Amino acid sequence: MQLHIRHETVYRYAEPVKRSVQNLRLTPRRDPIQRALNWTLQAPGRQHAQLDAHGNIVHLLIVNEPHREIRILVNGVVETAAAPHMALPNEGRLSPLAYLADTPLTQLDEPIAAFARRQLGDTGPSERFLLDLAHAVCEAVHYEKGATAVDESAAGAFARGKGVCQDQAHVFIACCRAVGIPVRYVSGYLHADRQAEVESHAWVDAWLGHESGWMSIDVTHRERAGPAHCRLAVGRDYLDAGPVRGVRRGGGLEELRVTVNVATSAQQQ
Amino acid sequence: MVETRAYDEMHGTAGDVREHYRAFADWLANTPRDRLTQKRAEADSLFHRVGITFAVYGEEAGTERLIPFDIVPRIIPAQEWRQLAAGVRQRVRALNAFIADIYHEQEILAAGRVPPEQVLCNQAYRPEMQGIDVPGGIYAHIAGIDVVRAGRGEFYVLEDNLRVPSGVSYMLEDRRMMMRLFPELFARHSIAPVEHYPDLLLENLRSVAPAGLTDPTVVLLTPGANNSAYFEHAFLAQQMGIELVEGQDLFVDDEYLYMRTTQGPQRVDVIYRRIDDDFLDPLVFRPDSLLGVPGLLAAYRAGRVTIANAIGTGVADDKSIYPYVPEMVRFYLGEEPLLANVPTYVLRRKPDLEYTLANLAELVVKEVHGAGGYGMLVGPAATREQLTAFRARILSAPERYIAQPTLALSSCPTFVESGLAPRHIDLRPFVLSGRDITLVPGGLTRVALRAGSLVVNSSQGGGTKDTWVLE
Amino acid sequence: MLSRTADHLYWMSRYIERAENLARMLEVNYRMSLLPHDAQIVERGWAATLTIIGLLDAFRHRYQTVTPANAIAFMAFDRDNPGSIYSCLRQARENARAVRGTLTSETWEMLNSTWLEMRVTALRPGDEIANFFEWVKDRSHLARGVVQGTMLCDEAWHFIWLGTFLERADSTSRILDVKYHLLLPHGEQAGGSADYYQWSALLHSVSAFEIYRRVYRDLITPRRVAELLVLRDDMPRSLRSCVSRVYGHLTAVRNAQSGETERRAGELQASLHFGRIEDIFALGLHEYLVQFLGRIRDLGERVARDFLVSATD
Repeated sequence: MQLHIRHETVYRYAEPVKRSVQNLRLTPRRDPIQRALNWTLQAPGRQHAQLDAHGNIVHLLIVNEPHREIRILVNGVVETAAAPHMALPNEGRLSPLAYLADTPLTQLDEPIAAFARRQLGDTGPSERFLLDLAHAVCEAVHYEKGATAVDESAAGAFARGKGVCQDQAHVFIACCRAVGIPVRYVSGYLHADRQAEVESHAWVDAWLGHESGWMSIDVTHRERAGPAHCRLAVGRDYLDAGPVRGVRRGGGLEELRVTVNVATSAQQQ
Repeated sequence: MVETRAYDEMHGTAGDVREHYRAFADWLANTPRDRLTQKRAEADSLFHRVGITFAVYGEEAGTERLIPFDIVPRIIPAQEWRQLAAGVRQRVRALNAFIADIYHEQEILAAGRVPPEQVLCNQAYRPEMQGIDVPGGIYAHIAGIDVVRAGRGEFYVLEDNLRVPSGVSYMLEDRRMMMRLFPELFARHSIAPVEHYPDLLLENLRSVAPAGLTDPTVVLLTPGANNSAYFEHAFLAQQMGIELVEGQDLFVDDEYLYMRTTQGPQRVDVIYRRIDDDFLDPLVFRPDSLLGVPGLLAAYRAGRVTIANAIGTGVADDKSIYPYVPEMVRFYLGEEPLLANVPTYVLRRKPDLEYTLANLAELVVKEVHGAGGYGMLVGPAATREQLTAFRARILSAPERYIAQPTLALSSCPTFVESGLAPRHIDLRPFVLSGRDITLVPGGLTRVALRAGSLVVNSSQGGGTKDTWVLE
Repeated sequence: MLSRTADHLYWMSRYIERAENLARMLEVNYRMSLLPHDAQIVERGWAATLTIIGLLDAFRHRYQTVTPANAIAFMAFDRDNPGSIYSCLRQARENARAVRGTLTSETWEMLNSTWLEMRVTALRPGDEIANFFEWVKDRSHLARGVVQGTMLCDEAWHFIWLGTFLERADSTSRILDVKYHLLLPHGEQAGGSADYYQWSALLHSVSAFEIYRRVYRDLITPRRVAELLVLRDDMPRSLRSCVSRVYGHLTAVRNAQSGETERRAGELQASLHFGRIEDIFALGLHEYLVQFLGRIRDLGERVARDFLVSATD
């Protein structure tokens, strides 16, 4: 499938920002199951591209002059695999074991650990287990926008019982780690058939061993990720892999507006 | 395996004075008590004036206390020091090789010599560092290796400190103090100097700057005046003649690091940082940190700045990795370790856990992620209630603990209320790794001031002594 | 040196100088209020001072009426008023503490003990407020003496003096304006005995009374007072002396971007060097002082931007 993506992120500030430094993960990963054609990134200030330890393409964006708005626009075409994603081999520098450790956002607590152990039961890690777990996580954490903040932890979302795809992914990740399955947070785009405008999406890669590799599971949709998914970045959690992460001096109240248009070649605008 | 008879630094088993202490013992015998008392009071007031204080955690905010200084030096004869230094050097070489290996090929893990989860799931492991090349392959530029002497005088390594080891300012100030109070002692002994440490350190830091720079700029990054070790930060920066900076003084631009000066932005090439990994870059580590520099890791990754000690060294000084250090010496250097570890039980392992619980009253149990003597059980000194409580803590999370037999740490005569009495000591030599590996002779001797206590940490009431290596 | 260090040194000295000048301003009013006056005139004098230093609104939030007691409590001892003498001395000490390593121990100890004494005094302000004002001036003299006598004449030293003289120029022009703008138009007969006492109070407050006598040997006239305090090179608190020092220190620390700031300071210095009192009075002294204050404020902002920690960092 060919996805035509246009993603605009606009930050507006009540007062001038003196200086801002951001890490942008807005460039599709070089994974075996996708290929980016004509991908461009437009942003103010100066950008430097690097490859981080997870193999993500990261742009360091520095805006030195006082500003009240930052507008980041990415645009391009991504060719994705034709079928549900095959399991990915472990490429890059990090061992899968590096994705077994806790992070503050995915920290285990007793309720999640117990929940995860119940799901695992007698069967070992497998695709079936992962899909069942996704199902169980969505039942335990209902999809609801606005219920959680962007810095909500897995434990918090689990206790609340609702959240967005990011929260469901975090809870899924905490569960996998509780039973010893290395798992990565995946940030990217999802093209849903009927809508041309959707938000960025989050799902996971779970490690099933050297023979099987990384299996991509869309927790929110309780299925394997496939041609409609475009991968931007992976990491241990949202902080590692999220599209924009930065700090600023000044600015006061921040207003964020994100518009994502994802279309296939047939629907291209 | 409890050793009851402590090795006394000054006296042999028959009570005679050891040869390297004879000149000192002689001087002590011939010096009137009042003079000693007066000199001790002088030391107190001088230290106060200079402001060597240590804000102690857990007390009322901002209380500053002097770290007590004892005027009886810890003396080490040249030959013993040479052996100890060789062992420490070897160990630091192996540790640096380990860290480099973990962040590159991970050959020691592939060879099955260290369990991979111990390293890769360790909270101190920094995936961000995987694959990053650092100048000279040196990660722990400054190492503090804590060493103790046991029963028959043999040295053991108690702990490695590879993140932000501290205490060298006390080593330097103690020497300065002794030379000022007792110049006659220095005339009588041939004591290896330590004053050149700041020069050695600066030279070392400059030698690991990014390649191609003729006059690299080095800075010392401090969390600020509210940090308990701030005195040392300011002291070392001043001694080395480098700027003492805080995060807000630095910024990244075009992947280079700069500091804000009155003459405009000035490039910074080497950071001697006294801030933990977690606070160094809010874009990568803790997002709420105001102590670091956003974009620092990007500059580091691009090879534009050297950070000393490198990010991620904690993966080698963790208590759960400590039992494997002798393996590292064998694996990377093909040598037998010159210095031994204290025998250690890793409670993650069932047999070790069983042994420990069965012998709790004779062991010292430490938290794997603890620091500074907190969260520790000293079996022989614990009450029944304390033992029971600790047993429960261990059982709730055995992977968090290691246990070691109580070593009878060596003791050294120390001035206490009743006069001179033996008190337990340890030693922290400071090892600098750059082009070469260098040590100043001696290091920081810490002394437990309470009778029988084995806890030497200054944060829990320990003191220091000057350390003399005789030439 | 680090911009942050220079910033602390600069503000340390500005706050000490500000405290001293506040004491001087309050002293003028205090002396004037000792003369036989009606309450309205006394009140006007205090309100004028509050206006000149920009604190009248803040004052009215706390107090209903302007009385000597209220005004002094507010401008000298009030902890919540960031512009009080109390707050200025606290800020001076805090800034010094941040850069303790850069100061000589004498300098630090002097500022620290000043602050400790201020805290004690503030707890129970004595009856003799005049003594307090003297004390503040003394401590300020001492601070300058200790800096001049013990510190190396390096960049740190230059930034300390830069702060001192910018602040002094600012404060002196305000002290002058209090009298001119707010008091003169209200029917005081020039040359009357009340007028004489007001002018001499003002001259005393800038330690210029004896100097005036020496230079002019004659009646006190507004024109001559203005000339002394604005244009005379040999009067250490004159605007001309202050700006001359500012310019000198600026050239000593110049960097790649301070050229324009240096030019403006030089331009101001030249206008004072070649200025004539007739031209100033033709414009109107108050108007002149308002302009001058604006230029000093502009220089201060530019110094912060060029060298220190400023709004655009």
